[in-house]
Amino acid sequence: MNVGVLFSGGKDSMLALLRAREEHKIACLITLVSLNKESFMFHTPNIDVTTLQAEALKLPLVRVVTKGEKEHELKDLKAALEQAKRKYKLQGIVTGAVRSTYQATRIQQICHELNLWCFSPLWLLDQIELLNEVLKRKMKVIISGVFAEPLDKSYLGKQIDKALIAKLAKAAATHKINPAGEGGEIETTVLDMQLFKKPIVVKKSSTVYENFAGTFTIHGAGAK
Amino acid sequence: MKLVISTCADPLSESEFVAPIVKLVGECVVRKCNKVKPEDIAQADSIIITGTALADFVYLKQKWDWLKTFKKPVLGICAGMQVLALAHGGKLVNQERIGVHPVTVIEPNPFCEGDFSAYFLHTKGVEGLDVLATSDNKPVMVKVKGKEQYGCLFHPEVLNEEIIKRFVA
Repeated sequence: MNVGVLFSGGKDSMLALLRAREEHKIACLITLVSLNKESFMFHTPNIDVTTLQAEALKLPLVRVVTKGEKEHELKDLKAALEQAKRKYKLQGIVTGAVRSTYQATRIQQICHELNLWCFSPLWLLDQIELLNEVLKRKMKVIISGVFAEPLDKSYLGKQIDKALIAKLAKAAATHKINPAGEGGEIETTVLDMQLFKKPIVVKKSSTVYENFAGTFTIHGAGAK
Repeated sequence: MKLVISTCADPLSESEFVAPIVKLVGECVVRKCNKVKPEDIAQADSIIITGTALADFVYLKQKWDWLKTFKKPVLGICAGMQVLALAHGGKLVNQERIGVHPVTVIEPNPFCEGDFSAYFLHTKGVEGLDVLATSDNKPVMVKVKGKEQYGCLFHPEVLNEEIIKRFVA
């Protein structure tokens, strides 16, 4: 079937895409750009990188801007999925949801209303297993946001590798955080993976950090 | 041997609805519902029938008559509870529930007690089996009279893992 991937540009939506393409045709990516930094549904620090990622994947991107107000963003999501369904003849939507019943409930409800299958191939996956799948799939993923103690400035912009996974696992054990960031503890950005025609190179970036909350924002990037 | 029967028509749904169950059950044999053989049933000491995607109803076309004569424990989750009802003379009713909702236990049972929250994902409820727990006055946990066959309309693997752990213990 033709499926669209709800796509934030982070590790979870990219892993979901990789799993989904083993069974279905990925017809498009769908990105909601939230103007609300507190959005529970869509906010990610480097959402604009999805444009470069879509180019690297040679996939069309349905990009919809939402103010991110609690009820309106769901209407905007529904409109985006409806638009993508019509344009790319979608029969299903793929999400990178892992644990959040808040997100899963809303996406399932909207897919049901639009008569679309909903697939969350990472659902309930162990967080460390998920991080290891990033390495197994040879993805280049950086940490683009930290939002929980003890995650400090040193994590920002760092690539996920074995050492970083061990560090996150240790932080999870001592501070009861989700090591893969399912609770919003970290945000990630994928710079390269097996399907990219060319990797994304960060040309200009900035870091903002204070009291266990910070972002690594990409201001300039391009294909190598 | 513990047998897990997948009701998923689409292989991509299995990582969502079958893999989390297998992780909780441990060592087990997994079969798709359209590939289950009589010898699989005969060798099973217990069976879990999984749920599937909201848009999936293919499992309703499979044969579930073996449930009538199977004497060992069965736990049907969501779609699995629906087929339990159909096999034992119950019926399906239109009933949509998506998300986290409160559950009230009304009959003592081996798996849970008191009130708790559970994650639901279905558009069909069931009628006609003994009710163990309700949500919004609708049956969400049931038992087949005279058998160790139980149904959960919600997905215990999401917020109520102990139900599955107690079933397989």
